[in-house]
Amino acid sequence: MKKIFLLALLLAAPPVFAQLDTQWVIEQSTLTYHMSHPMHQVDGVSRDAKGKGVCHAEECDFLIATPVKSFDSGDTNRDLHMIEATRGAQFPMVVVRTRFPVGDTASATIYADLEVQFAGQTAHYAHVPFQRATQGNQVRLTGTILATCSDFKIDRPSFLTVPIKNEIPVRVDITWRPM
Amino acid sequence: MDLILSPIPAPLKALPNAPSATPASPSLGDLGFTPQQSQPNAQLQVLLDKRTEMLKIHQRLGLITTIPMAAALITGPMATAKGKNGQPITEPTTANLDFHAALGGATTALYFTSAYYAIRAPRVPGTEKHGAIRLHEALAFIHLPGMVLTPALGIMAYKQENAGEKVHGIASAHGAVAYTTAAAYGASIIAVSWPIHWKFWEK
Repeated sequence: MKKIFLLALLLAAPPVFAQLDTQWVIEQSTLTYHMSHPMHQVDGVSRDAKGKGVCHAEECDFLIATPVKSFDSGDTNRDLHMIEATRGAQFPMVVVRTRFPVGDTASATIYADLEVQFAGQTAHYAHVPFQRATQGNQVRLTGTILATCSDFKIDRPSFLTVPIKNEIPVRVDITWRPM
Repeated sequence: MDLILSPIPAPLKALPNAPSATPASPSLGDLGFTPQQSQPNAQLQVLLDKRTEMLKIHQRLGLITTIPMAAALITGPMATAKGKNGQPITEPTTANLDFHAALGGATTALYFTSAYYAIRAPRVPGTEKHGAIRLHEALAFIHLPGMVLTPALGIMAYKQENAGEKVHGIASAHGAVAYTTAAAYGASIIAVSWPIHWKFWEK
């Protein structure tokens, strides 16, 4: 009788585990900002982003962060100028939070509402599309956040007295794995 | 085989003061950044602000320097005596000589003021230089001594010209040293501008 009861319990167990919250961490990431100047096109890359995601019964809650100084544009002087212009010593982290319904995680394109904290300011980007690709148990998300300097009240750095363009799109390429 | 059955724990919802079993929303502390990475550093921000301000002045003065430098290079041949040995020599006019000397003086003053702002700009601890800035700084090993030598040789040449002599000795290297210095200086500006996006009207 005991054995039958335990068997019944074990058979009932999988749905219980399936209902548990799933957590995700970043396996690898590449965040690239693009800066345009009449004389220059520059990409700054960070591969140091860390992130965690928690999917509850109905909603997923993700947090991604990277140090401002982790962006490398290929020139130390320019990177230090970027940190200065974005007040990166005072506000050393770029933090992105997003929530989306669990149901969206199965779609090929996830539309996320992002809250980005950067340079001491918070900007919101609604309905940002991210392409989703599954690789084994990992999920790769790619997309572009159409950020601007003015979103974060950044005084645009200038070169040869000409300021950079206001647009600084950030390309996101993050692979997540379940914890 | 003995099997022990334990009672199923009551759902946590039944205990209002118990911590939630569901993981909380992720926080920055969960991500494992070191305090060095994530803590604000007001002193570093002040240092970066000062550094940027000084380098902006360096850049502006450096660009302005190119104007009298180019003019001095253009007027150089007009401030030189012409004619081969054994033939009549045409001396440059005093006005040409003085104008060229004034341009040289302005170039030298602007150059060293610009250099001062670059040299005195605060260094950021723990930063390893890479990229175009290294070539920019390496070229200073050519144009900095060049900017010391060029006016020194120029003064010698000026005195010889004023004495009615054809420029001779080490002073005769004035032109060659000036051209080399200007070339290194121009290369130094191009180094920090490279790669130049020539089609600037395109995105």
